[in-house]
Amino acid sequence: MSDHEHDHDHPHGAPPSPYHRSERTGDRNKELTERVNKLESLLIAKGLVAKDALDKLIEIYEHDLGPMNGAKVVARAWVDPDYKRRLLEDATGAIAELGFGGLQGEHMVVVENTPKTHNVVVCTLCSCYPWPVLGLPPAWYKDAAYRSRIVIDPRGVLREFGTALDDDIEVRVWDSSAEVRYLVLPERPAGTDHVSEAELAARVDRDAMIGVTRVSPP
Amino acid sequence: MSKERSARPDVAEMGDTPLPRKSGELVFHDDWERRAFALAVSLAERGLFEWKEFQQQLIESVGEAERGDPQHPSRSYYESWLMSLERLLKKKRLLG
Repeated sequence: MSDHEHDHDHPHGAPPSPYHRSERTGDRNKELTERVNKLESLLIAKGLVAKDALDKLIEIYEHDLGPMNGAKVVARAWVDPDYKRRLLEDATGAIAELGFGGLQGEHMVVVENTPKTHNVVVCTLCSCYPWPVLGLPPAWYKDAAYRSRIVIDPRGVLREFGTALDDDIEVRVWDSSAEVRYLVLPERPAGTDHVSEAELAARVDRDAMIGVTRVSPP
Repeated sequence: MSKERSARPDVAEMGDTPLPRKSGELVFHDDWERRAFALAVSLAERGLFEWKEFQQQLIESVGEAERGDPQHPSRSYYESWLMSLERLLKKKRLLG
C-alpha cells in the first residue's frame, strides 16, 4: 500500500506528518509484530482477551464506526428542531437515540456553527476523538503540527483546509479530552430546503464535523 | 457496544484499502497496529482497566516521544500506543 499517494490529495499545506506514513524499516516492523504477537498470546492464554472478540472488534471499528454516523446526527438536527435542541442540551443522549454510543462516545458536547461563529475541534494532549460518530481519527488530527497550530493560528490552519472565514466571524477552538469530546454541528448549506434527510447526511463529511471545513452548498 | 449500527464499508473512511478519498487517510499502516489497537480496546471493554487510565498512559508516551522535536517524534503513534499498553498491563500486574 502506498501512503505517499495520500499526501497529494491532503487538503492542508502543513508539512507531511511524521505519523502520516510508516517510515519503519522491515526489521523494526518485524520486531513490533513479534511484540504484539507475544502480548496477544499471553493475554489469550490468561483468558483476558479472546481471538474472535478481537477480530469482531476490528471489524466494527474499521467498518461500522465512522463519519457516516455523525452525518446522520447532523442531518437529523437540520431537519428536526426538537432533535437539534436535545442534541445541543444533551449530546450523548441525543446521539444514543440514533443508536450510536460506546467507548470514546461518552460525555459528548455538540457545538453549533452559525453565520457569526465557527467552531473547530482539537485534542491538544493526544488524540481524543468521538469514535462512535466519527470513527478513528485521521493521521493529521494526531499530529503535533495540527494540535499546536490550530490553537495559535486557527484562521491560518482553516485557510490551509480551504476554509476562508470573514474577519467578523468568531472562531472557537474546543479542546477534546478524556472528559469531554466535541462534535461540530455545521451550518446547513443554502439551497437545501427540499433535500431529504438521507441526501443531506450524504453531504456531511468528517472534516466538517471536526470543524476544519464547512458543508458546501449543492 | 450497540449492535444495531449499520455497516457501510463503502462510505466508512477508516478501511484499510488505499483508495484515494477526499478527506480520508489510512488509519493503520501495518497489521500489528490494528491488533495493538484491538487489544487495548478489548481489555478496557472487559473492565481490566479504565479507558481513562489507558489514555493517561498514552498522553505520557506521546508526550515523551515528542519531547525532543514535536515534528519528528522519536516513535510513531502506534508504537507509543503499544508501549502504553505494555506499561499499563505491567502496572496492573496483569502479565505476571
